[in-house]
Amino acid sequence: MATRVDTLEPLPAPEPERPPGRRLSPAEWARENLFGSALDAVLTVLFALLLGWALYRVGKFVLVDARWEIIDRNITNLMVARFPREELWRIWAALFVLGASLGFGAGAAATSRRRDVEEGRAAPPGQVGVLRRVGPVVALVAVLLWFASSLETTILTLGVAAVAAGAYLGGRRVSWRAARFVPIVLGGIVIAFLIVAAFGGVGWDNWGGLILTLFLAVAGILISFPLGVLLALGRRSSLPAVRVVCVAYIELVRGVPLIALLFMGAFMIGFFLPPGADRPSLVTRALIALVLFTAAYVAEIVRGGLQSVPRGQIEAAQALGLSPLRVTGLIVLPQALRNVIPGLVGQFISLYKDTSLVFIVGLTDLLGVAENITKQPDFLAQGLIVETLLFASFVYWTGSYWMSRESQRLERRLGLGER
Amino acid sequence: MNENGGPMILLEGVSKWFGDFQALKGVDLTVDRQEVVVVCGPSGSGKSTMIRCINRLEQHDRGRIVVDGIELSDDLRDIQEIRREVGMVFQQFNLFPHMTVLENVTLAPRQVRRSPKQHAREKAMELLERVRIPEQANKYPGQLSGGQQQRAAIARALAMGPKIMLFDEPTSALDPEMIKEVLDVMEELAESGMTMIVVSHEMGFARAVAHRMAFMADGEIVEVGPPEHFFTNPREERTKQFLAQIL
Repeated sequence: MATRVDTLEPLPAPEPERPPGRRLSPAEWARENLFGSALDAVLTVLFALLLGWALYRVGKFVLVDARWEIIDRNITNLMVARFPREELWRIWAALFVLGASLGFGAGAAATSRRRDVEEGRAAPPGQVGVLRRVGPVVALVAVLLWFASSLETTILTLGVAAVAAGAYLGGRRVSWRAARFVPIVLGGIVIAFLIVAAFGGVGWDNWGGLILTLFLAVAGILISFPLGVLLALGRRSSLPAVRVVCVAYIELVRGVPLIALLFMGAFMIGFFLPPGADRPSLVTRALIALVLFTAAYVAEIVRGGLQSVPRGQIEAAQALGLSPLRVTGLIVLPQALRNVIPGLVGQFISLYKDTSLVFIVGLTDLLGVAENITKQPDFLAQGLIVETLLFASFVYWTGSYWMSRESQRLERRLGLGER
Repeated sequence: MNENGGPMILLEGVSKWFGDFQALKGVDLTVDRQEVVVVCGPSGSGKSTMIRCINRLEQHDRGRIVVDGIELSDDLRDIQEIRREVGMVFQQFNLFPHMTVLENVTLAPRQVRRSPKQHAREKAMELLERVRIPEQANKYPGQLSGGQQQRAAIARALAMGPKIMLFDEPTSALDPEMIKEVLDVMEELAESGMTMIVVSHEMGFARAVAHRMAFMADGEIVEVGPPEHFFTNPREERTKQFLAQIL
């Protein structure tokens, strides 16, 4: 087994052979794939007719038959529900702050990614244009503006877009690591929240419509994620007491439907509070139920990730003299979380849509408003629920689709660092 | 502490069980300062377990282990102190895949020794020069060949300025053409006066570098001796059989 390889003359590079490729014209492609045999042809025609018919019906409904005036008239209700109209400026101010911080974050992230690619540390981005990335958001904003059909709203929206674009360009000029710009983005979210809720503003008890939905989703994600990570770590703790508590919590909560948790939050929380204590508001209780529920699922997803980190990684970190806390925080968790991004994002998309369940405990989130406005005197018993549900679904879809696309980008971006 | 006198590593009657299986049966071994000991033996003989006990990746059940005057106990501070003085290189490299090579090397100095960033980087680059992969500093481990990864792992272990280096079959996971580049680095390290325990079956390397050879079988050290005797004229029958198989 001696080491005999000392020098190897490099062989002359052979002419690389290309795989036999075929380029088909669209007509050839169609003939081959759609009309290859008699059966294929029949199926193609049949499904083309079905698809055309469905598109025609949906298109005709959306563009001709639907009575969108119910959305037109209620667009503010759908966005904010009972939120006092004289305080709406707070929401606009918050949107400006959000536009600035998110735009800046996106710009800084783009630069840091470009640098990583240049230095060979990240995969080059796919051929996804900016337009396709922000497409869902742009479509949503365009639809909302069309329904709002007000000059003031349009100008304010364009203002937010301009600020976001400016911040994006500003963000591209700095070359910061994520550890520096992520806090700015999170800080922006907190400031936006404070502008609306604090300083004589409107507390979330009085929020409704889309902002309640977004609040429940964003707050739910931001709180349940760290909680779930702690639960997952606790479940693997070497201290039996910690382990038992975490396992019991996770298994109990996962065994109960979310609706049951929401009802418990709404009606049973009084039992757990000292007598005379103020009961938290219904929104707070709903948020707690959503967070507790999601945290249990996040914990199990993260546990899967923790198990995927090879034992040798922990040993190598220990052998270097890292403390147990640093082994977990610097070596195990970053690898574990990266491995479970798809599962985590799936859970968060679930949470975003499950916020609509708060409507059954009496909150008026987006779906709640969509249902309520069909009972207004002008629209009562006219079957307009189809229009309002279509609208609400479109809003949910744009958010979910955007999250899913961004998570795919994140996976690709982190992909090259894998072993 | 005995900075200059006394052995660097002392194992006395070290025993270790995995469940009912006894992996180490009263192992005695002394390693002097600047000494290089190469341990060989059939698979499952306890070689890895022995060196993993020295930095507490495995906990021994009986006996004493003293490293540079510090006795291994359950006291976490003693364990951390010993781990700072003992570098380890693994068969599977175990580089951190989510960090660049440079980040792998600077991690422990920055986190454990609290070295300033610039200082840690300069030191790391020196070490990467020494293992001859400075141009790989900003790449991720997944982009390196096996031999480069193992050399990066050696640099990472050296970054803490250890007094002792443990090598657990460092070339067993490598393709043949990469073994030499790793062994060359290890040989230089031995010449620089590092105290080393190397679990390896690279007998050419052992002949050239080892001050003493140790042969393990069934959880015991069967024979210890200088390589010239060990290879040509082993005392024990089991050693003879083993050497006949691998040479």
